[in-house]
Amino acid sequence: MGDPAVVVDSLVKRFAAKTAVADLSFSVAAGEIYGLLGPNGAGKTTTLRVLAGILTPTAGRALVAGIDVASDPLEVRRRLGFLTNTTGLYARLTGRELLDYFARLHGLGPAAAEARIAVLVRALDLAPFFGRRCEGLSTGERQRLSIARAMLHDPSVMVLDEPTAGLDVLASRFLRSFVRAERDRGKAVVFSTHYLAEAELLCDRIGLLHHGRLLAEGTPAALRAMAGDAPSLEEAFLRLVAAVDAPGATETAP
Amino acid sequence: MKLREVKLVAGKELRETLRDRRTLAVMVLFPLVIYPLVSLVTAQVLAARVARIEAHVARVAVSGPPALTGELRRRLTSADVVVVASAAESNRAVLAANRVDAVAEVKPGAAGKPPEVRLLYDETREESATARDRVEQALAVPVGGANCRPAFSVATAGVAARTQVSGYMLSKILPLVVVVMVMLGAFHPAIDITAGERERSTLETTLSAPIDRTSLMAGKVLAVATLASLTGVLNLASMSLTVLEGTHLIAGGAKTPIPWLRAAAAFAVIPPTAFLFASVMVAIGALARSFKEAQTLLTPVYFLCMAPALTAGLGDFQLGGVTAWIPGVGVTLLARDLILGHASLGVTLAVLVSTALYGAAALALAARLYDSERLFFTDEAGLGLGAWLRHVASGHASAPADGTDDQPATTAGHALALYAIACILLFFVFVPLQTWRLGPGLMLSEWVGLGGLTWIYARGRGQKLAEVIRIGAPSPTAFAGAVLIGLSAWLVVGLVAEWILPAPKEVVEGLRRAVAPTDGGRGTLVTLFLMALTPAICEEALFRGPILRGLRTRLSPAGAAILTGLLFGIYHLDPWRLLPTAILGVALSGIALASDSIVPAMVAHFVNNACLILLARLHADDTDALATSTKLLLGTLGAVVLSVGIHLMRRADKKRGGM
Repeated sequence: MGDPAVVVDSLVKRFAAKTAVADLSFSVAAGEIYGLLGPNGAGKTTTLRVLAGILTPTAGRALVAGIDVASDPLEVRRRLGFLTNTTGLYARLTGRELLDYFARLHGLGPAAAEARIAVLVRALDLAPFFGRRCEGLSTGERQRLSIARAMLHDPSVMVLDEPTAGLDVLASRFLRSFVRAERDRGKAVVFSTHYLAEAELLCDRIGLLHHGRLLAEGTPAALRAMAGDAPSLEEAFLRLVAAVDAPGATETAP
Repeated sequence: MKLREVKLVAGKELRETLRDRRTLAVMVLFPLVIYPLVSLVTAQVLAARVARIEAHVARVAVSGPPALTGELRRRLTSADVVVVASAAESNRAVLAANRVDAVAEVKPGAAGKPPEVRLLYDETREESATARDRVEQALAVPVGGANCRPAFSVATAGVAARTQVSGYMLSKILPLVVVVMVMLGAFHPAIDITAGERERSTLETTLSAPIDRTSLMAGKVLAVATLASLTGVLNLASMSLTVLEGTHLIAGGAKTPIPWLRAAAAFAVIPPTAFLFASVMVAIGALARSFKEAQTLLTPVYFLCMAPALTAGLGDFQLGGVTAWIPGVGVTLLARDLILGHASLGVTLAVLVSTALYGAAALALAARLYDSERLFFTDEAGLGLGAWLRHVASGHASAPADGTDDQPATTAGHALALYAIACILLFFVFVPLQTWRLGPGLMLSEWVGLGGLTWIYARGRGQKLAEVIRIGAPSPTAFAGAVLIGLSAWLVVGLVAEWILPAPKEVVEGLRRAVAPTDGGRGTLVTLFLMALTPAICEEALFRGPILRGLRTRLSPAGAAILTGLLFGIYHLDPWRLLPTAILGVALSGIALASDSIVPAMVAHFVNNACLILLARLHADDTDALATSTKLLLGTLGAVVLSVGIHLMRRADKKRGGM
């Protein structure tokens, strides 16, 4: 295995007096799905926003495809596909207009943009609604279009923030299949969710976040073993959190 | 419908709304501060314009048979009309050349009728219209008493070409309408593309695209400016047609020629104006977290942006020099001059370039404000504007708000609230009091009003007044510096202000009469007490006390001094004194900060005002009577003394340990 596609090293992110991420370290290899798991407010979205070059680290560093997000966020955004936790589509544009706009922002020429959009339309089955305005699309359709938007430039790293939130069973399954396929094409995927069962199904490795700190890290099986052979990842998480939050525990929340 | 439920819902909604400080700010700031501020400034501009026209002595030429012109001359000659010698050229030519304001052509009347006067005037000049009115009034007085017939039969005739008249009418309406409509055109798009983006949850998508912030904001500003320009163009076209139709109707169906080429030239001001206001509004919109918040922030900004255009539209300012460089004023005056065909190339370029530069500066600010750290700070940590402004100023990602700092006794919020209260008192109490009787009004306004406000604030905070306003014994160096600054600032600032934005003679005369009444009703000592000592104590107590100290908690020393000075200038409600008063306010704030005491600022304020009063009372304040070389000499002398004063203040500051 070569250099990791994503490196997070002693990352700290503070918002005024609040520490959202505290001394977080992990790495993701090419061809790996890494899940960031944790409850609301654990620091998942903040970590992913730092990786996407939207937020600047307070301390520590984050590298995407070997590029420091703090020193060259624009180049990071060119190498990375970021799917936000809201679909974030421009409601008054059609699917075609939206993808065309982002293709141009990524520097694709008209012919290259057309070809790439055609590939994504087929892969994500966008054709039935591609000419409609985004405001009229269903949640599943919007999410597929969002994935297409994030994948337009065929990035080597995908950062997906709660991509299955609000999706029905079929749409969730479709998305998981797509992510696995991208992993198999050699992409590094960082995936955040608070659906532990879904993470267990999809992720090669998982980092459990709690109050901005990495509680534990490993494969789903390793994490269950770490928590005393917990029957599920959810149970493992609860046991690990209880151990940290217990009175007298050395690990304290910031 | 159940009354109990209605009351319950209304109670809940009121509680929620009134807990929104921004809503409260708009509710209070708008009706009580901004409207009176804008209207008082506008009224002053209009009053100055009326005073200037009234003070103008009408120049009237008389022509006709000597037997009749003699009587005409006798009746016309008065304090506000002077009969000038008839020129060899035609009457219309001298009128057109602006050598006279009106021409009275007299000839014998028909049998049994009074002599006929044909009064020629130029409809496109206010002085000419005023001259026409004065001549008409003078000739309307009957011979031999009220029941007798008038001595002359008067008929008026405008000499301006119809195109000129319609151009003149357009120049009165179009510039202001176009500038205001461009602003209005920028208002909602600016909100939609900034705060609206956050509300539609597309912000993160936009920020994750590989595009730098300046390009992103430039694109947004360009879109808003395009829409604003379109609004301006549509309004310009629509208003021109409306004026055309209106004049057509007034003229009883006669065709009114419109100077289309010149009206079209006014389009030139639309793009830079749209760029300027789009940038300003996008910058402000970038601060907002929601559509509602953006509206709250932008509405006062809209009215404040409108004020310069309104002032320029209603006043009779000449375009050139400084007026070309004042945002909002320059474009309004340029649109007027383009329609009238008066605009020179140099001034046109100055206005367009300066407006574009201001727009670029606002765009740079917008790019800085549209900062993902701020935009997500508020989502993540509810970070306030103040902490974020510190972040913008420092360039650090996080503000050092660890909660261990002592809470300052006076905050920036207190400072602004005190200023708003002082303005409200000024509009509704102080101005009426001083209009009623200047002396007692000033005493009440200053000692009871401003002094009382500062005292009540200190009591309300549970502090001693001396602590709040920082009464402390100044060092001899600070004291000497303050005296020197007080002795020289008025001279330097006055000459600079006279060069940049000279006040109309009538305004200067009004001030002179207030300081040195011609009836001798107030002695020098009383005037010094009333107009030098009283403001030096009461205005300093408020402005260099809690207002300056409160702003200093959020701004750098220079930032706090400049903002306090600006607020001080605005408080004096005089557009012509805004610049000198604001500069003086900055200097006094600097003195207070450097010496960490209000006493030197009070000393400097007193000395400054005392110098002006003594000069006025000695009739030595007429700078027009001075030669340019004398002015330069005085200015240089003042600058030297001022520099020494500033040097001493800096030494005092260093000795004290810096600001």
